Amino acid sequence: MSVTAQRPAPALPFAKARTAPRRSLRQRRDSFLLTFVAVVLVAGFLSPLLRSFALSFQTPEQISQVDAPLWPASPLTYNYKGRDYPVYKVQINGTTREMALFKKGRTESQFVDPSNPSAGLIIWQGSWRTLTPALSFAPTFDNYTNVWSLLNYPRLLFNTAAIAIIGLIGTVVSCTLVAYGFARFRYPGRGVLFLILISTIFLPTAVTLIPTYTIFVKLGWVGTWLPLLVPTFFANAYDVFLLRQYLLTIPREMDEAAAIDGAGPMRTLISVIVPQAWPVIIAVAIFHLVYSWNDFFAPLIYLSTKPELQTLAVGLAQFSANRSAQEPGLIQAGTLMTLIVPVIIFLIFQRVFMRGVVITGVEK
Amino acid sequence: MIAFRRPRMSRLAWHEARSGLLFLSPWIIGFLAFTLIPIVATLVFTFLNIKLDQEEPLRFVGLDNYVALFRDPQVWDSLLVTLKFAAISLPVAVVLPFSVALLLNSRSLRASSLFRVLFFLPYVVPFVAGVLIWAQMLNSDTGWINGLLGLVGIQGPDWLNDPSWVYPGLVIIGVWGIGGGIIVNQAGLKGIPTELYDAARIDGAGWWGQLRHVTLPMISPVIFYTLVLAVVEVLQYFLVPLVLNQGTGEPGGTTRFYNLYLYQTFFSYQDMSYGATLAWLLFLITLAITGVLFWSARYWVYYAGETSYSA
Amino acid sequence: MHRTIPAFSAVVVALAMLITACSGGNATSSAPAVSSTPEPTGPPVEIKWYCCLGTGDDKTQLPVEAKVVDDFNKTHPHIHLVFDHVAYDGARAAFATRIASGTPPDVVGPLGVGGAEAFRGQWLDLTDLIAKNKVDLSVYGQGAVDFYKVAGQGQIGIPFAVYPSELYYQPDMFDEAGLNYPPHHYGDKYKMPDGTMVDWNYDTVRTIAMKLTVDANGKDATQAGFDSKRIVQYGFEPQRDDLRGMGAYFGAGKLAADDNKTVQIPDGWAQGWKWIYNGMFADHFIMTNQVYKSTAFNGGGYAFNSGKVAMQENFLWNVCCVTDAGGNWDLAAIPSNGGKTTAVFNADTFRITKGSAHPDEAFTVLQYLLGPASKTLLNAYSAFPARTADQADFFTGLEAQKTDKGAPVYPPKVDWKVAVDGIQYADNPNFEAWMPAYNKSLDLLTQKLTKWTSTPGLNMDQEIATLKTQLQAIWDKG
Repeated sequence: MSVTAQRPAPALPFAKARTAPRRSLRQRRDSFLLTFVAVVLVAGFLSPLLRSFALSFQTPEQISQVDAPLWPASPLTYNYKGRDYPVYKVQINGTTREMALFKKGRTESQFVDPSNPSAGLIIWQGSWRTLTPALSFAPTFDNYTNVWSLLNYPRLLFNTAAIAIIGLIGTVVSCTLVAYGFARFRYPGRGVLFLILISTIFLPTAVTLIPTYTIFVKLGWVGTWLPLLVPTFFANAYDVFLLRQYLLTIPREMDEAAAIDGAGPMRTLISVIVPQAWPVIIAVAIFHLVYSWNDFFAPLIYLSTKPELQTLAVGLAQFSANRSAQEPGLIQAGTLMTLIVPVIIFLIFQRVFMRGVVITGVEK
Repeated sequence: MIAFRRPRMSRLAWHEARSGLLFLSPWIIGFLAFTLIPIVATLVFTFLNIKLDQEEPLRFVGLDNYVALFRDPQVWDSLLVTLKFAAISLPVAVVLPFSVALLLNSRSLRASSLFRVLFFLPYVVPFVAGVLIWAQMLNSDTGWINGLLGLVGIQGPDWLNDPSWVYPGLVIIGVWGIGGGIIVNQAGLKGIPTELYDAARIDGAGWWGQLRHVTLPMISPVIFYTLVLAVVEVLQYFLVPLVLNQGTGEPGGTTRFYNLYLYQTFFSYQDMSYGATLAWLLFLITLAITGVLFWSARYWVYYAGETSYSA
Repeated sequence: MHRTIPAFSAVVVALAMLITACSGGNATSSAPAVSSTPEPTGPPVEIKWYCCLGTGDDKTQLPVEAKVVDDFNKTHPHIHLVFDHVAYDGARAAFATRIASGTPPDVVGPLGVGGAEAFRGQWLDLTDLIAKNKVDLSVYGQGAVDFYKVAGQGQIGIPFAVYPSELYYQPDMFDEAGLNYPPHHYGDKYKMPDGTMVDWNYDTVRTIAMKLTVDANGKDATQAGFDSKRIVQYGFEPQRDDLRGMGAYFGAGKLAADDNKTVQIPDGWAQGWKWIYNGMFADHFIMTNQVYKSTAFNGGGYAFNSGKVAMQENFLWNVCCVTDAGGNWDLAAIPSNGGKTTAVFNADTFRITKGSAHPDEAFTVLQYLLGPASKTLLNAYSAFPARTADQADFFTGLEAQKTDKGAPVYPPKVDWKVAVDGIQYADNPNFEAWMPAYNKSLDLLTQKLTKWTSTPGLNMDQEIATLKTQLQAIWDKG
C-alpha cells in the first residue's frame, strides 16, 4: 500500500509525464517521514533491551555504583602502599587533577597524587561525593562465561531446541489438518465442535493443572519430554482458530479446479491450500517456537527430577533465585543468551514468510 | 429426476462430512485423551470440598461452593478490577499490532525487513525477564521512563505504586508482547489481493478510503481472531502482577485480578474446590462474551472464501 | 474415609474414583507403615529430595547439592536419591500439585518455619522413626529440638541449621562520618562523638543513621539542604522479608493470642513498624520500596549487599552473599527496644512428607543430610549448625572459603562471636508461629508491607488498627 495522489491519474500520456516527477518527490518525502516515525517507535520500543545489553557487560560493583553510566565503567584505582584507592577528578589550586581518595571525610578528605606520591597526603576541603570519579571503560565478559558454564548452556540449548522443533512440527501438521477440517468441509455439528474447541481455552491452566498432572503421572510420563511433546500432535485451539480464520479467506476457485482434476481432499490441501496459506503457517510455526522456547512452568514441574533434560527458561531461574544477591548482570546475560537463538531462527524464517504467496494465476 | 438428485447430494454430503471429521480427528482424539477428563474433573471438584490438607473427610457439598462464590466480596471486586483493566488494554491489544503491521507493510518504508525483526524482538524475551526489565524501566525513582519525562520537565508518576497509574503501567509492559499480533496482522495483510487496491484507486479512493473499504473488510477475520483472543487473555490476566507484586494486589487492591485471586486460592490458600468454582464462573463469563462476539461476527467479519455466512 | 458419590452417570463415577484415588491419598494416610523394614535386595527405592521452598537453588548451592546426592548414592546402593529441583518461583505451586496428585516428594528442604507452615499438616511425625533408628537428640540444644515439636503434629523436624540475627555494618562509612563503631557485645553502651555514653537502642540508631545517610552532595540527613531525592548512601536497613520479622526485632510476639482465635498486635511490633515508617518517610534514613527495588541498590535483594548501606539487621544466611558489599564489613549487636533486646531467630531443616511412599528410606536420607553431609551443606547455605559440637568449626570453615580467583571470600576480622551471642536473644515466641488461615493472613501482611514501604503520608496508628480488623475478619471466616 502506498500513499497515492489525491486525484486519479490523467489519461493523456503528456500529462502523465508531467506528474511523474512530482509523485516520486512526494513518495520520497513520505518514505522519509514514515521511516523516521518507525525509527522513533522502534528506538523507544527496544530501549529496555539496550539497557539489558549494557548491563550484561557489567560487574555487580559497576552496576551499583552511584550514578552509574550506561556503559560499563569502573573507577580508576591507584595502588598506594598496598591498597587500591579510587581516583577522582579534583579541583585544586585552580586546576583539575586526577587524584586518589585516601581517607574519606564529610567536610574534608585526604588525597594522594598518583603523579607525585612522595608528596604525601593532600588535604582537600569539600565533600568528596560531589566529585566525579575518573572512569575507565571496563566491560566484562564474565557474565556470559558464567552463564555458559553454570547453566550447562550447550546441553540446555539442545534440550530447548529439540523440544521446540519437535513441538513445532507436531503443531503445524496437526493444526493445519484440523483447521482444514473446520474451514473447508460442511457437516452437522461443525459449529458446536468449533465452539467446544474454542472453549477449551476458557478455563485457566491453574485449575486444570492438577488433573492434567495426575494423568501424566498415571501414564508414567513425568520425568520425560512426553507431556511437553505429545499434546502438540493433537492440535491446540489458538493455532487452529488462527489457521481456520485465514483459510476461510482463501477463495474456492482453485479448490474447485483441483476437484475437477480429480484431486482428493488431502491433495487439495497440500497442493492448493498450503501454498496459499504459507504466511499464516509460518506464523503458527514461529508462535509455537517462541512459546515453547520460553515456556517455564511445564518443564519446571514435569522435568524437575531430570536436570539433564531441562530447558533454558528453567535454568535461567537460578540466577534470580537468591534473595541476597541478585545479579542483574548475570540475569541480563542469561536472558540475551536465551533469546538469541529464536531471533536468529526468526531472521531465517522471515525471509520465507515474506516471500509471500506466489501461485500461478493468483498474485497476492 | 428429482428422485435421482437427492441420493446423490446426500452421498456427497456424507463424503464431505466424513472427510471433514477425518481431518478433525487429531484434535478430537487429543481432546478426549488429554483435555476432557481434566475439565470434567474440575467441574466435579466444585461439588466436593477438596483442600490440600484435607482435614475434613472428602464429601459431596452440593452447591455450597457456588453459594460462597456469590457471597464472596473479593470475587466481585476482582471481576471489576479485571473489567476496568480490560477497558484500557483491549483497544491497545487490537489496534496497536494492526497499526504497526500497516506501517511495516507500507511500501514507503525503507528497510522494512529490519524493522520487522526489531519489532518482533521483544516478543521473544522470556516472560519473567521481560517483566522484571520493565519493572526497572518504570521504577519511579531510577527508571528511564520517568527520566525521559523529567527531561521534558514532567514529573513522572509512580507507575507501579500509584493506583491511578498502575493500569497504564501494566499496559506499557504488555506492549512488548505485540510481536505476535504484528505477525498475524501482517500475514493477513499479505493475503489481500492487490487487484482490490488497484480497483479502489481507480475508483478514486485515497489512503483512508482504501483502508476503510479494502483493508479492514479483508482483514476482518484476523481482527476477529485478535479480538477474541485478547478478550480471553485479559480475563485470565494474572502473571504480570504475580511477578511484579508477588500477588499482593497492591497498590490498594487494584492489581487483584480475578485470575490472580483464583491462582492464590489454588496455590496459596490451597482450597482446590473453591478455586475450581472460581474457574467455572470465569468460564461462563468468557463463554458469554465470546458467544456475543461470534454472533456479532456476521455483521462485520467477511470471509472471502465463503459464499454464505459461516461463523 | 467416607464420601458420597454423585450417582448420575458411570463416567462421573469413574472420574470421582480417579479424583479420590489421587487426592484421597493424603486424606487417608495418618501414620505410615513404620513396621516394615526395607529389604536389602530388590530394586533400589527411589527417594526424591525436593528443593527449593526455601534457600538452596542459588547457582553456588546447586553443584554442592548435586555432589551430596552423588555421594549418597554411591554409599547407599539400595536407595536411589534424586534431586528434585523446582525453582523457588514455582516451588509452592509445584509442591501443591504433587501433593494433590498423590505423588508427593519424600524429603523436602532446606525449609524454614514459614515455608513449613504454608503446608501445615503435610509433614510426617518423626517420633517413631527417631525411636526406631535410635537417633540421639541430645547433640542439639533442647530449645532447638522443641522448636520442631508442634502441638497436634508431633516432632516434625530434627534441628539442622539456625540463623541468629546480627547487625551488619560498614566501618568505613562510620570512619568517614566520624562516628564510633556499634558495640560488639550485648549490654555495652555506645559512645557518641561528643563522648557521652548512651544506651545502644533504636533511638541511638536513629540518630547515627541519620548522620550516615548522605545525599549526592555529601550532606547528611541531619543537615539543612539535605536532598532526600538524591540519596546515595542510607544509614539503616531493616529485615524486610516479612512484616512480622520486621516487628520482632523490636520485641518478640505472635499475632495469635493464646486462644488461637483473636488477633493481637504485639506492642513491640507496632513500635517497630512506626519507627521504620518514620525512618523512611520522615527522616529518610531507610530507603523506600521504590528505591529498594532499583538495580542501584541490589534490585530487590538485600540492599546492604549493594555496598551503599551503613547498617542492616539481618539473619546469618545473608553472610553467603554479602561479599558484594565490599571487603570490610563487620558484625555488631542488635539494638534494644524498651530495655529488651530481640535478635530474631530463624531455623531451617529437612522434613519428610506425610504422603511419602517410603518413609524408612526417606529417613535414611534425612539422617545422611543431617549427619555426614551436614558440614558441606551448612557451608553452602551459610547456615549455623544446630549441632552444638559443630559450631566452633563453622566460622573457621567460612573464613577458609576462597573465590575462584583465590582471594578469601570474607574479610579477615569479622566478629563472628556476635552471631553466636545473638542466639540467646532469640525471639520466643518465634515470629513465624502458627496463626489461623496462615496463607491468607500472610497475604494480607505482605500487602501491608508493600503499602507501608511505598506510600508516604499514612497514619500508622490507623493503618495498624485496620490491619488488626482485617486480619480478624479473615480469621473469623476460618
